[in-house]
Formats: sequence, C-alpha cells, structure tokens
Amino acid sequence: MNAQATTVVTTLNPYTGPWTFEQAAHLLRRTMYGPSYQQIKSAVDNGMYFTLGSLFEELPLPAPPVNGYYTEDPNVPVGETWVEAVYTNVTEETSYRFRSLTAWTVALMWEEGVHIREKLTLFWHNHFPNASVEDPKFQYRYIATLRNRAWGNFRDLTKEITIDPAMLIYLNGNQNKKEAPNENYGRELLELFTIGKGPLAGPGDYTHYNEQDVQQFARVLSGWRDFGFTNESPDGTFGSFFNPDRHDDGVKNLSFHFNNEVITNMNEQEYTHLIDIVFQQPEVARFICRKLYRWFLFHEIDANIEASIIEPMAQILIANDYEIKPALLALLASEHFYDVQFKGLLIKNPYDHLLSVLKTFDVQVSTPLDQKQDSLYRIWQLTKSLQLSYFTVPEVAGWQAYYREPLYYRNWLNSSTLPLRLDYSDEAVSSGLSAYQGNGEDMLVDVLKILGTLDAPDDPNSVVDELVLIMFPKPISPERKTALKEILIPGLPDFEWTVEYLDYANDPTNPDYYIPVDTKLRALVRAMISMPDFFLS
Amino acid sequence: MKRRSFIKHLGLGVGGPIILNGLGLSALAKSRLFASIADDTDRVLVLIQLNGGNDGLSTLVPLDQYDNLVTVRGNILIDEDDLLPLTGTLGLHPKLGGLKELFDQGKMGIVQNVGYPNQNRSHFRSVDIWTSGSPANEYWTTGWVGRYLDQQYPGYPDGYPNTDNPDPFAITMGYLVSETCQGTASNFAITLSDPFTLNNLAEWNTDEYAGTQFGEELAFVRESIQLTNLYSVRIHAAANNGNSLVEYPSTDLASQLKNIALLISGGLKTKIYTVSLGGFDTHSDQTVEDHPKQGKHSELLETLSGAIKAFQDDLVALGVEDRVMGMTFSEFGRQIRSNGSFGTDHGTAAPLILFGACMGNIILGDNPVIAEDVSVQEGVAMQYDFRDVYGSVLMDWFEMPKSQVKNILYEGFQHIPITTCVPPDATKERPFGSPIELKNFPNPFSSSTTIRFSSAGENIRLSVFNGIGHELTVLAQGKYDAGVHEVNFETGDLSSGNYYIHLKTESGSKTEKMIKAR
Repeated sequence: MNAQATTVVTTLNPYTGPWTFEQAAHLLRRTMYGPSYQQIKSAVDNGMYFTLGSLFEELPLPAPPVNGYYTEDPNVPVGETWVEAVYTNVTEETSYRFRSLTAWTVALMWEEGVHIREKLTLFWHNHFPNASVEDPKFQYRYIATLRNRAWGNFRDLTKEITIDPAMLIYLNGNQNKKEAPNENYGRELLELFTIGKGPLAGPGDYTHYNEQDVQQFARVLSGWRDFGFTNESPDGTFGSFFNPDRHDDGVKNLSFHFNNEVITNMNEQEYTHLIDIVFQQPEVARFICRKLYRWFLFHEIDANIEASIIEPMAQILIANDYEIKPALLALLASEHFYDVQFKGLLIKNPYDHLLSVLKTFDVQVSTPLDQKQDSLYRIWQLTKSLQLSYFTVPEVAGWQAYYREPLYYRNWLNSSTLPLRLDYSDEAVSSGLSAYQGNGEDMLVDVLKILGTLDAPDDPNSVVDELVLIMFPKPISPERKTALKEILIPGLPDFEWTVEYLDYANDPTNPDYYIPVDTKLRALVRAMISMPDFFLS
Repeated sequence: MKRRSFIKHLGLGVGGPIILNGLGLSALAKSRLFASIADDTDRVLVLIQLNGGNDGLSTLVPLDQYDNLVTVRGNILIDEDDLLPLTGTLGLHPKLGGLKELFDQGKMGIVQNVGYPNQNRSHFRSVDIWTSGSPANEYWTTGWVGRYLDQQYPGYPDGYPNTDNPDPFAITMGYLVSETCQGTASNFAITLSDPFTLNNLAEWNTDEYAGTQFGEELAFVRESIQLTNLYSVRIHAAANNGNSLVEYPSTDLASQLKNIALLISGGLKTKIYTVSLGGFDTHSDQTVEDHPKQGKHSELLETLSGAIKAFQDDLVALGVEDRVMGMTFSEFGRQIRSNGSFGTDHGTAAPLILFGACMGNIILGDNPVIAEDVSVQEGVAMQYDFRDVYGSVLMDWFEMPKSQVKNILYEGFQHIPITTCVPPDATKERPFGSPIELKNFPNPFSSSTTIRFSSAGENIRLSVFNGIGHELTVLAQGKYDAGVHEVNFETGDLSSGNYYIHLKTESGSKTEKMIKAR
C-alpha cells in the first residue's frame, strides 16, 4: 500500500502489464465522466486496445439542441432545433435557447457512452475559451466546431476558431482593423493557443515570440468581422466574413523566432498562412502535448517527463501533421499512463464530480422534453456554482485548475466550493436534486439498482469492497471498511445483512424489505461520497 | 511537505478512524475555540484586485498632459471639465466621487506609476508577478502576503487553528483563493461566500496513505474540510456578533466589503482580506462613442468608488476605522494610445489607490509624461516598483522590520511613505521626497547622452527603460557620495524613439523621458 514515488522513469512505450479492473477504471475515469461499474467491467473483458478503439470510435456530430418548451417562437416549434433560426424576440428567445443549449451539453456528457469525445470537447473549451457571447446560435456553432475536431487536426481547428464568430467577439478580433489594430486575439493566439509563452529572454521577448510578432500578428489578422449577432433580420444568417477595407494589406515582418518570415498581402487567406508558419515550430506540438498531459494524467511535468513523454508525444503529433489522435492514443496506451503512482492524484472537476454520482448510480432523468431539459439545466447551474460550466470560462487562460501553480487541481476545492460539492452530491443521494423550477422528478440515486449489479450483494463485506472499487481510486484501510460496514449493519453480525438482503431479493416490491435495505445502503453511499477519496480520480 | 496530523495537534484522543457529522472533532473543537472571540486592535489589510489591467490614465488624469492626451487617446478621453480635481494637475474620473470625498477627508492616497521592470503584458503572467511579488524573470510559487504570514506563523497549516490563532489569517471573498496568500506549505486564505453559513462537513481520517503522493491529495481534501468547519464556526459567530451601519450600493463588490466590515466589527482576527473586481480588460468599448463618461470603465469605477466609500463610512460608524487600510492593484496599466475600438490594450505602469484613516491625502509620484508622438505599444513608464509599495505596507502597517521585508520581497527594497501612521521605530535614513536631480543632455540625442543625477550619499540605482517597460541597462548602482554625478549613456544600436531614465534612491524615485532622434 505504501507506493512511494518510484524512481523508475516510465516511458511512452505501450503498456504490457496486467489488464485488470484497476487499469480499466483508470482509463475510463480519465477519459469519461463517471463510468459505471458495468462499463469498467466490460472494458476489463474487452482489453485495452479494444477499449481505446471504442473511446475513439468515429461518431457523427450529435443532433443539435431543440426547443424544449417555449411556444412563442414562430420559427421554432417545440421539439425542433433553433440553431439556425431567426430571432423575432431576442430577449425571450435567447433565454430559452440558452437553457436548451446548456441542458443539451450536459446531456451529451451524461449519455456519452464509452467515448472520449466529451472530455476532449471540454479540453478544447478550456484551451480556446469563450464566455459572455450571449447568442446561443454563436455559442452552438463554436462548441460544435470544437466537438467536431475533438481529436482531429489541431492546426485546422486553430484556423477555424481564429475566424469563428464567437471567438471574434470574445477576443475583439472583430474590432481589429488596419487603422486601429487590436492585438488581443493575436497575443493570445501566441501566448495561450499555439506556441505558448516561454521565459522572458530579453526586452519584449518571450523565448518563442516577441512583441514585434504580437504587433505583426494583429496586422495579419485584421479585417475579420462577425455578423448576425442576436439579429432579428429576416434571413437570420450569421457568421464571419472578411472585409478587405479593414485589412492591413502592408508587408508584415515576423521576428527571428519565425525565421524573419515576410508576409505579403494575402487578404482572407493570410491568417491561414500565418497559422501554417506558427505550426512549423515544434514548440507548438510540445505546448499542446503538455496541456493534454495535464488534462488526462497529472499536472507535474519535470525534466524527465518532458524528455521521456512530452517530447516523443510531440514528435508523434508532428509526424502525423498535428492530428491529435495518434499522440493522445500513445499516451493513453503507454506504460507511463498506467504507472500506479498517478492513480488518484487528480481532483475531479465539478462535472466529473457530479456526474460520477449521477451516472455511477444510474440516476434517471424525467423523460418529457421540457422536464428533461429543466433537470439537465439544473446540473449546469450547479456546476456553475462549483466554478466550472460551459460557456462561462473565467479567463482566457482557461480554468485555473489546469494552469495555476502550485495548486493546479486543488484550485477546485476551497471553503466556498467544498461545502457546495458535498451538499449537491449528498442531495443527490439523500433526497434527490430538484430540477430547475421543480419541473421534473427529483434526480435521486437508485442504490438498490447498483446493489443488483454487485457480484455478492448478500455479503456486507463484499458490498463495501465493491462500492469502494466503484467509487474510489484506491482501496481503503480495514479500519475505514469496518466503519463503513458499521453504517450498513450497526452493531450487528454480518449475517443480519444477508438475512435482510435475501428477504428483499426474494420479495423486492415489499416495502417491509426494500425500505430498510435502501435506507442502510443509502446511508453507506452518503458516507462514502463525503470521504476525500471520492474527490479524487 | 510534512503534514502532521491535524487531529493530534488539538490533543484530542481519537480512537476510531471515523468522525462523523456533529460528533468528535467538530463539536469538541467548537467548544474549545468559541470562547476567545474578543475585540482587539489588530490591523487589517484589504486588497482589491482589479482584474484585467486597469487603465490608469482614465482613472487618474494628469491635467498638465491633457493636450497631448487629446492627441493620443482623444476618442476615449473625458472632458477636462468633467474630471474631479484632486490637485492642480490631477483629476479623478467623474465616477470616482466617493474616492474624491475620501481624499478630501484625508483618507485616500495615491502612488502614481507603479509597475515593475521588464513589464510582462500577459494577464496570466503579470498577475503571477503581482501576486507573488517576484521579479519579472523569476517564477515564484508563493504569494507576497503568504511569505509574510509564513514568517509570522511558520508551519501553517500544521497546528492551526489553535487557541492563540483561532481565526483564518486571510480570507478571499468569493470562490477562488487568492494567489497573494499562497504560503510555502499551504494557502493562508480561505474562501468565503456567505459568512452566515455554518459548515459542518463530515471529517474522515485517511492516514493509511500517509507518506504517499495519493495520501497528500487525500490530506489536502481532508484538511480543507476540517479548516472549513473550524473556521466556519468562528466566522459564523463573528458575523452574528458584528454589525454594519450604513447603506451599501447593490454590487457584489460592495456586499463583499460589507461582509468584511461585519466580520471585523464582529471580532474576527483575520489580518488580510482579498476581494476582486473583474472586467478591466477593456480592449473595446471602454467608453461609449462620443460619450467618454459612459461605458464599461465608468461602470467599473463607479462600482469601485461606491463600494470603497460605503465601506470606509461603515468602518467609521463601527468605530474600527483606525484598524483598517485598503489598497487596489491591477496586473498592468494600459497603453497610452487608445485603439480604434474605443478601448485600450495591455500597457505598463498605473496608479495604485490606498484608502483608510491613515492615508492622509498623500500623492506620491510625478505625473506621467505623455508625448504626442508616443508609439503604439508604449505604456506609462514605471516610477515606483510595486514591491516597494508592498514592503512599505508591511513595514508601516504590520511593523515588519526592513531586513525581513527585503528577505521576502527583494534586496533592492526601498521604503516609501505611503501612510501617515508610521510605527515609531520605522527607520528613515533621510526625509523622503527630498529633491532629486535627474536630467540628461543633450536631449534629444543621437548616439550618446550624459545623465546627471544627485545622491545624498546613499544607495542608488540608475537605469534606462524603453517605452514598453523593459529595463534595457543599468548605468549606475551602489553607494554614491553626496553630490551630483554624471554618467555617459552610449545608445549603440537602439532604435530611435522615447526612452526613460529611472533613478531610484533611498529617499525616492524619479523617472524622466529622453528621446533618441533618428
């Protein structure tokens, strides 16, 4: 049990050790939100490569979000999508559409299956942030772009996002014009989105680029505009366009960091040329590989990990022309990824935390469209209070948990968010999370259902052991197990649980039997979600 | 990182591995700690972080530069008549009426042109520099307040809270702890959203993984829960014991400051409170076209001023005014030239506002010099190093010896007189603000210029900065005899444009512009 940090440096070589529940759980918990017991057991049976194949299985984009309840939109009947529809009453319509959009986003995570796409979509949302662009049509298009390229080509995604209308608004690219350059987007493109800022190497020089590049980038990127924002015009179209009159058509001179590249006017093609130039620098590959590493494995990247993991990952990325999948697959299949010392070191983000209650315990959501939407919208609201929610990235650098030293993931927990996390998860287990405005059944953990999936539900020791396996990253001490069993059968011998359980199993609809079993089991799960182990993945 | 068991320290014999709600530790600890809330005279520092980079030139306008401001930022410049005059040559933004009143009452001060050498224009990195107090080229993982508290309370959180120190040392209002309070082993700040919430979270022992990295993460969660519970008892009691006697505006910032007043008056012994106000990254729509008094920046300053004014009035009404001082900071000022989007881009130095009964109406620093031909990326040149402001707060407000201040900030630290309440033993080598001579000739120059500066027989540092805040070269450093000295500056291959000579002495700092001609 005493797994002192090993001095053996593991590499990106394929993992060839045993494939058991431990490894399968680690893979699914890091690539999905709250995998179920059954999903993990299937992954054990299927083996590592088959499971990785499922995680990266090609899928079409999900059907777009629909109008859940609002009957006043003349262009969008209830049940139909609004993602291209004209506005007739912006205030009302953006309100119902935003509720629909966020609920849909939560549903995609909840119903993701054994698949990595949703965790990657949030990864990109963290990488290319957006907030306060309050037109759901813009927000939908933006998130669809990220999801569409979840493990696709990083360079292509960067190009698409650079002229995405929501991004043009968020970082003022739409105001960047020849006479008045606005360097906001260009600076972040360098600093946070592609090559990253290195140590200060000289006046205005950040090792990988300098202030001259920031200025020149702003010039190259000038001329792009968004249109149709909350537009009530009859055609309802929106998007981005290039206005040559606003574009700086002069010669741009990049610094020595980019081989003193000279860019002559290419109008609307100029930004793609610029991004091609940036991506010729191998530092771009290292930069994104570090971010993937921190997202999926652990925040600490020392010289060893830089040399034995990041650099080879970056080489794979470059060899594959910046396709994300091969490099990420190499990480997820590596002996390094399954190194025991990384298990349980990642504090779950709020989506991960809530969904590992709701999904692991198979909480059901009301099915009528409006109720389903209001239930899922409530989850979005809860994670917003926990400081992580779609479309509200707090800073252009993303969520602090993924970049802010020295705390990193620990940034999620403090004396404000901790009580809320515990409250919400406890509510889900004890009385049920209510839907938005109470419109829908309370979302309540079904403990009896999980009992039915256990290998030995009649043995209280086994029940505790299996729940630990399902809920925690690592085993717990015999003392804590005893304490947990004490909740299940306070002061009684083990066989009393067996008796109670068998009564219930033989007559599962009899309240005299199922209520006591449910109550005891619920108390056990409540205790377990309050343990520090449940916060970790 | 060593983590002794928190439970052991409290001397409670805990037999079983489990302590549940309402039992064991929480209940016992409450009864032990509850008794010691009492009034005292401890000093409190309130830090207000203006996230995004506040435009100093719109906050505090140098009236003697107004004509050139019209040239370089005419589209966002507020009419001279609308500004609130502080002195003959300085005007406050019209939405800062509350601060103006405080200034007139002798309760607000300003340090102009605060920044640091080699200004970094990334939000991200510059916030790290401002919160850590590091040099621009070093990466420090502790905050400046965290290091101060580390000195006072070594070992935290091992053994805290305890009967001598029952309260959190620092509180961040909101949902994210401030990096300013990051100590070596742990962050000294707890976050607080509602002081009336009493937390009673389940506490579990996870000792079986002690000594492993996984055990460290478990311990972090466990200790966070324990501290949340223990401090919550104290905060809840102080909130109920405290008071608030004035009307506050209905903004988040104001209600956070109101809660701070409540807790101070309720007897909480917390030394540092941090709050933040976001939205200062005004690349666009900082002002409304043709209505420079309106727009995002106006709204932000109105929020700031209204909240500070109400807070200060409340402190007076509550009779705790003498114990509290406040200070704003922001990761950078903005460029001198506005952009075409009625906004401003990331710049360099900016004024820093101090408030409280001890702030006099001190204005330190010279008005920034605005050249009409200022280049696009140029920011306001730095005159005072932000670490000198921090260190002076530590010396004057928390009575930290200068040698220790140097230890936790930097060797080159110089005290500046930011407050009128100075501890009797604060060392002053020489009256601050004695005239400093600094000029260069010829000016403009082509390949070399001579810089003349005065010294009072003290340690000095003379350096040259470019327009974006980078220190290009140090021309003189060390102890210089009393009198006037001259050094020659060979400009080599520097391009033409504006440069700044910066002289720092033990009695003040001065920045002068010089021009390299084509």
